Amino acid sequence: MLEVTGLQKIYRDREREVEAVRDLTFQLTEGELACLVGPSGCGKTTLLKCIAGLMEPTSGTVELAGRSVTGPPPDMAVVFQEYGRSLFPWLTVQGNIELPLKEKKLPKKRRGELVAESLEAVGLSGSARAYPWQLSGGMQQRVAIARAIAYEPRVLLMDEPFAAVDAQTRADLEDLIRDLWNRFDMTVLFVTHDIDEAVYLGQRVLVLSSSPTVVQDDVSINLPSVRDQLTTRSDARFTELRTRIYSEIQNAKHTSAAAK
Amino acid sequence: MTAYTTRSAGFARKAVGRIAAWFLLPLLLVLLWWASSLSSGNYYMTPPNEIATTFGEVWTAEAVSTDVLPSVARLLSGFAIAAVLGTVLGMALGLSPRLRALTEPVLEFFRAIPPPVLVPLLMLLIGVNTSMKLAVIISGCVWPILLNTIEGVRAVDPVLTDTCRCYGIRGRRWLTTLVLRSASPQIMAGLRQGLSIAIILMVISEMFASNSGLGYAIQEFQRSFAIPEMWTGIVLLGLLGVVLSVLFGLVERRVLAWYHGMRAAHRAG
Repeated sequence: MLEVTGLQKIYRDREREVEAVRDLTFQLTEGELACLVGPSGCGKTTLLKCIAGLMEPTSGTVELAGRSVTGPPPDMAVVFQEYGRSLFPWLTVQGNIELPLKEKKLPKKRRGELVAESLEAVGLSGSARAYPWQLSGGMQQRVAIARAIAYEPRVLLMDEPFAAVDAQTRADLEDLIRDLWNRFDMTVLFVTHDIDEAVYLGQRVLVLSSSPTVVQDDVSINLPSVRDQLTTRSDARFTELRTRIYSEIQNAKHTSAAAK
Repeated sequence: MTAYTTRSAGFARKAVGRIAAWFLLPLLLVLLWWASSLSSGNYYMTPPNEIATTFGEVWTAEAVSTDVLPSVARLLSGFAIAAVLGTVLGMALGLSPRLRALTEPVLEFFRAIPPPVLVPLLMLLIGVNTSMKLAVIISGCVWPILLNTIEGVRAVDPVLTDTCRCYGIRGRRWLTTLVLRSASPQIMAGLRQGLSIAIILMVISEMFASNSGLGYAIQEFQRSFAIPEMWTGIVLLGLLGVVLSVLFGLVERRVLAWYHGMRAAHRAG
């Protein structure tokens, strides 16, 4: 479904070169929910922008359903970390969700259905006519998620979407993502720096090293598919998995520090 | 019920207070003017009561339709052309760094020239007619609109730009929904500055070799020492400025409702 092969990204300016991503290779199969976790500053956002077609890699390829990604692919939606800045403040919630659908030239009736369905799915049915800035941070991110869902993407990319919301809201949003992934037919790639979040959400966790980044490990999360904030997080396997990933990330930091 | 009546009474009191506050300073200034004009007895300082009575005599329906309305029409059309020109050029320049680099020295040059010095030149080139007057107005008030639009377009949030790219929003929809709306607070600020410049230039454009218009009338009164009449022209000009500013404020409040709402929300949060 999604194939990233030998991806490398070097930022160049006049004085120096920074190799943000060295050599990344991984595949996602159709309908998978995978989390990418890595230490802060490991080039997660760079990687995600390359996959989304917003940035050109220095070398390597990204393929979506067999087609090479050179610009933003039409069947991919992205949810950004900065929810406050990714929603149009001059459009209502409905206007924000509808805008990409208008560009897709969907008839008005279908657009209305998609808006209503996606708002219902994120629990914001009553807020269609509100402006984003009238909503709390968590609700704004729900709107951004609703916009992505309404777009009916085959792949949903999420770039640390919950990094800027409080812990309580974050837990609710994590459950929302699991719920949406179960309900809608899509592959989800979720980028986070939070190990617990990655283990809780994913079927699979890709552990990234420090910059210059490579895939350090590919961990399959063998937790029951119905997850619950209380029982899942106190499950012995959960603790085991998070410990394993945690120590790997620590390792990665030390190795890269030693290499420097 | 009682709560409701006291609340509406509170609103009424607030509204009265606001209107009183609005008129307080103008009223004080008129009184001050009155006192000083009476005490000095200066021929050139006409007392307000005399200005008020002369006002009715000078600005009859006929005078309004021959001198005031054509002036206002030129002012508004000049401003409208400058608004379209400034916004369209500003968007093009704001979006293209190459175009910006190419035009910057020329723009700085023309911007530095005070429009009144262009009047004789434009008279020679275009002739003494409506086009010349419009050209004077446009040549002055296009700059704040153009420069503010450029800044506004350059400041479009990169996250929103990425969002548009991801969802394939491009072309006209991209231009109107992203670029124009993003820049609208700056564009409106430019338009407001442009409007006050347009009023000044409307008057100036009528002071050279003209035979009608508000600026022409004021100058004619000055030349014939019709001092109270001259004052009524100045007062009318000031009132025109107030009315235009209020109307602009109403439009702005509608266009930028989202912006003011967002800023209020940020302040509260």
